[in-house]
Order: sequence, then C-alpha cells, then structure tokens
Amino acid sequence: MTRRSGLAAALFLIPTVLVFGLFSWWPIVRSVVLGFQRTNLVEAAAFTGLDNFRTLLADPLLVTAAGNTLLFTGLALIIGFPVPIVLAVLMSELRRGSGLMRVLVYLPVVVPPVVAVLMWKWFYDPDSGLFNQLLGLVGLGPYPWLQSTGMAMPSLVLEATWAGAGGAVLIYLAALSSVPTELYEAAELDGASVWRRLWHVTLPQLRPILLIMLLLQVINTFQVFTEPFVLTDGGPEDSTVTVLLLIYRYAFVNGDYGAAAALSVSLAVVLAVLSAVYLRLTRTWGTK
Amino acid sequence: MAGALVLAAATSGCSSGSAEGDLGKTTITVAGMPATTAAKTRKQFLDAVAAFEKANPDIKLKPTDTQWDARTFATRLAGGNAETVLTVPLTEPPGLIARRQIADLSAEIKTLPHATDFDPRALAPATGAEGKVYGLPVTEYALGLVYNRALFAKAGLDPDKPPATWDEVRAAAKKIAGPGVAGYTQMTVKNTGGWILTAMTYSFGGQMEKKEGEQYVPSLLDGPAEQALRHLAAMRWQDDSMGANQLRTQQDAERDFAAGKIGMMIGTVNSYTRYTTLYSGKPDDFGIAALPQQAGAKATLLGGLVAAVNAKATPAQRAAAVKWIDYYYLKPNYDPAAAEQLAIANAADKLAVGLPTLPFYGTAVSGPVNAAIAKHSNIPVSNFTPYVKDTDKLEYLVEPPVAAQDLYGALDTAVQAVLTRKDADPRDELTKAAARVAPLLEKAQ
Repeated sequence: MTRRSGLAAALFLIPTVLVFGLFSWWPIVRSVVLGFQRTNLVEAAAFTGLDNFRTLLADPLLVTAAGNTLLFTGLALIIGFPVPIVLAVLMSELRRGSGLMRVLVYLPVVVPPVVAVLMWKWFYDPDSGLFNQLLGLVGLGPYPWLQSTGMAMPSLVLEATWAGAGGAVLIYLAALSSVPTELYEAAELDGASVWRRLWHVTLPQLRPILLIMLLLQVINTFQVFTEPFVLTDGGPEDSTVTVLLLIYRYAFVNGDYGAAAALSVSLAVVLAVLSAVYLRLTRTWGTK
Repeated sequence: MAGALVLAAATSGCSSGSAEGDLGKTTITVAGMPATTAAKTRKQFLDAVAAFEKANPDIKLKPTDTQWDARTFATRLAGGNAETVLTVPLTEPPGLIARRQIADLSAEIKTLPHATDFDPRALAPATGAEGKVYGLPVTEYALGLVYNRALFAKAGLDPDKPPATWDEVRAAAKKIAGPGVAGYTQMTVKNTGGWILTAMTYSFGGQMEKKEGEQYVPSLLDGPAEQALRHLAAMRWQDDSMGANQLRTQQDAERDFAAGKIGMMIGTVNSYTRYTTLYSGKPDDFGIAALPQQAGAKATLLGGLVAAVNAKATPAQRAAAVKWIDYYYLKPNYDPAAAEQLAIANAADKLAVGLPTLPFYGTAVSGPVNAAIAKHSNIPVSNFTPYVKDTDKLEYLVEPPVAAQDLYGALDTAVQAVLTRKDADPRDELTKAAARVAPLLEKAQ
C-alpha cells in the first residue's frame, strides 16, 4: 500500500519536476555553462575557460556597479526595511479603517512596476516634477533628485520603498495577528508602556519573520534593475549602475553573452554564500 | 535568479528560422510590416508581399510586424525565431557584423538592378572594414539641428535663419532659454550621449576613433571632442541655457521638444513623423537645419535604417531575402511608379511624405523618384529648406567602426559629468572615457 501510494506520488510529481526542470533548472545550468563560453548565438559556442571572468575583472565599471549595489542594499535596509514594520504595527493598532489602510498601502504593489517607475520619473523631474513643485510651495528646492550623483541613489531607494512596502506590510500584519494577546495583557498588567510592549513583546515575537524578511530583502535589493534602468539608465556618471544593469548591458547592448552569464553566475554565488552565512549566524537567534 | 536576464539567451533551441518549405519553395520571414495603426501602409506592404510572391513563385514570404529590439534579437536569433530579413538602426550594423550575426550580401547585391548606381554613402553604414556589404539602405538621413520655430520667433530670432555654427547655437540658446524652457538640450542616456557627442565632434572636425598601424584606437583626446564638451559646459554653466533636466533619452527629448520645452537639439529628419503622430506637435513649429559646424568643419553623422539578413539564412534564403529587399525597399528609390504608390499609401495614413532623406542612387536615378514623391508631399516643405540647402555640402560620416556601443556608453558618462557637475573638467572626463574603451577596442579587433 505504502509503495503504491509512493509510486502515485512520484507520478503526480513528474509534470511539476519536468516543468520546473525545463524552465528553471535547465536555464540555470545553461547560464553557468555560458559563463565559460564565447558565443554569438549563431555559430557553436566555444569554451574559453575563465576569459569571461577576466573580462569582468578588467572592467572598471564592475567595482562601481558592486559599490552602487551595496549602497542601494544598505540604503534600502536603513530606509526601506523599518518602514513596513512601523506601518504594520501602527495599522494593527487601528480600531477603524484598517481595511482601507491595507488597500492604500498595498495599492502601489498592484501598479505595474514600469508604470510606477515612469510615474516617479515625472515626480522627480527637476523642472516640472511634482516633488519640486510641492516643495517649492514651502520655499524649498528645487532639488536635482536624479540629476545629481549624491541624490540619485537615495531617490531610487525612495521609489523602491514605496513600491515594495505593501507586500511586506501584509506579511507583518499576518505575523502580528498570531502574537498571543495574553502576552500584551500580561505586559499591560505589569505596567509596560507602548514602547516597552513593542520592544519586549512584539519584536521578539516577530523575530523569525523579521530575519527571513531581512534575507529576502537583501537578495531582492542586490538584484535591483527596473528602477535604475527606467529612471536613470545608470547615470549620472555611473552613480546608479547596478550589477544587474551591467549584466543587461553586457548581454543586450554589447552582445557579450558570455560575460553577462559570468557576472550572473558570480552574483548568484555571492548571494548563495551570503545567505548561507546569514542563516548560520542567525540559526539560533530566531528561536531564542 | 540573478541570471534570469540571460537565461533566455542560454536556451538555444531549435534550428534556424524557416527553411525551404513544403512545395519546394524557399520560405523567408520578413520584418518591417507596418503596424495595424497604419492601415493603408500595411495594406500596401501586404499587397507588395502578394505581388512579390506572384512574380517569384518559388519564394514564400512570412511577414511580421516585429520592430528591431536589441534586447530580444539575441534570444530570438538563438531560438531560431529572428526574421530572415531584419530592419536595424544604423547604430547596430558594426556590432552585428563584428559578432557575425548578419550575413555578407556582397555577391547577391551585385545582381541587383542599378547595382552600379549606388551612392557609396548609402552603402557605407553596413559595409565592413574589409569592404564586404552586410546590409542595404531602407532610409538614411544626416543628423541635423532640430529647432522650434515658434520659440525662435518668440525669442526675436528669425526661424528661417537657424544657427549655422555652434557659436550661433549658443547665442540663440541664451535668448530662447526661460522658465521651463531649455534653449538647447542634449540627450545623455542609453548610449545617446555618446551617439550625439559623436555627431557634434564630427561637426567640430574630429573623429572618435583613428587607425594606428592596423588597429583602431580612441581619438577622444585629439581636440574636437573636448571642444564640443567645453562648448556644452559653457552653455550649461555659464549661460544656464540648457535647463535643469540633463538625463534625457531620445524619447524624452522628442516628447519635450514637441511640448515646446526645448528650443534646439541635435536630431533626425524622421523625428518629424513621431513629432506629429506620437507627440501631436504642430507641423508649422517644427524646424530643421543642417548640423551646425565649427572651426571650418564640414561633416555630419548618418542615421537611419538598413535591411540586413540573418546569418543563419541558407544561401537560397539569402538570395530570396535580397530579392525582397530590392523589391520593397530599393525599388521605390529607383522606380518612380513604385515610389508614388508608396507615397500615396503613406499620405493616406497621415505619415510624413517627402522628408529629405539621403538618396540611395545618383541624381539620374533619384531625380525622377523625388519628383514623383514630391507630388504627394504633406510636410511643411519650407521648414526643411535650411536643412536641404546646407546638408548636402557636408561630408556624411558613419558610426565609429569598432565597438561603437562601448564607446557611446563610456561617453554617456562623460557628457553626464559635464552637464550635471559644474566642476567636471571635459578633458579629464574624456581621458577617463578613453581609458575605459581602449581595452575594449583592442579586444574587439
């Protein structure tokens, strides 16, 4: 009986494994192989050993792109990570209108990313953009936003935070609803203030979800592409060239598919190592 | 995950496009079918397909309305889905030739009618360094100075006497600039910064690459590119005549120009079509002049589209493809009746007819053709007069021969630096750009 049900399970799995293998694993394998080849996609690809990786290391833009990506990730952690937590905690305290708030917070996630980014491109327009017009009303600005090397990256992070916060807020709200109410009641009886309840009850209870969300955010922000591609195309002066934008340029502007694959593989390896180290370091934190 | 962008490129699949078909016919796919929004021109295209098939019963055409897109071309080529006949912008052939992704058509071209009458300038953009020809012209034009005639008049300038030198551009830009209006603007992103600076450098008497021995090297530090950048820096920071937005794509610039926010920019003749149809610009306000020149220079950059053939095509497909290119793209340039038929369809679709493009053939052939088209012209012809009058006096130069896109990418950064940072030194920025592209040029040769 067990053997038969095992066989049935395996049969049911076959389509999924085939689809997953064909559309997910096989391209990954091909990408890794391509990282060691030179090809024009017309003639047979030739193995070139580590040549593509040497090309990457010789490109001065790689260091710039890696630095910019780290900057985006760092700024997104500082600006973007706490925002959904704060919003979720505030919304969980709302007695009325929480449904409307959820819709409003989630709305940016529903807007197609390119549409949202193009909308922000107009917000940031230094001549007639919304932000400079609004700030002008109170005597501030005009600010260069995307036109300055110093402000361009924070401007991208601001848009990305707006666009991505909604999904995280919903996850935190779900996690908050699972925190036992007795804990808050006990804390209140002990005379704990709102801040102490947040610090000693809410955050410890959210810790496992916070840790996994942090990891997911780092992985996502390392792969930022749409914002720099649509808003700045890496400018001004390469200040927003990210690793994924560089991959795109290698492949689709310069036609160097081998270098693009090599950089993709390198980024995937970096993220895998980072994830492994992070999970190892935080293995005990989530359960403490 | 990170490799998602290139995964598709990695999934090399089936064999190359269409091969010899069922009934012994040679089947080829042809890009360039007009979109459904241009109904008359599309019908004219499909009628041409039917007529071509009737005249060539051994060839079957499969038309598509796919537009050239560098992002999807490689994956479609790998998957065997790229068309046999492609129409590509003039910025692309050097890279496609270097990567051997388009076919050498030299032998087939020799069999065409009027093969010996070609204006060499028309074939130059798709000619490889070794003299082989990889593409035939679809439409070609010299870059010029696009300007807003209404803003000129408002600033007290004569719209019929546009600037002929860069000093005059600077003076005019100062007069035009005002709140929300840039006197002059320059595209700077998605490699347009390098592309337009190349045109500007040509008009200062320079080149972007030069031959040293057998190798091409960057010539960014020879003077003209630096003079061009210094001129831009002066307009941006001394005159404040370039507005605040310095990160414009070609689309951004054309849209803002049609909205009356830009007085002048380097642009193309065919931008008039987008100006009127896409951005609803007023035809009477559109002006175009020859590319301004400085320091005795007499040169401009060539832009446009060429028809090329997928490198995966079989010899029979390649021959059929060149026959089609001749029938559809070249014939209206040497056969007045075909030219008139196309002009009528375009005019019915409210597409621009009579734009001053580069003739593909000598005057004996192109003269009667131009006369046939002129009968159906729907553009404000006098607005193009300054362009027509002076452009033919200029030498038409093509894109830098080696790794042009790498060069343009590095120059985007230099142009952005000069236009967004007051203390950026043009020579330093060009030095950095030259250092960045020198190894890439070496690798590409």
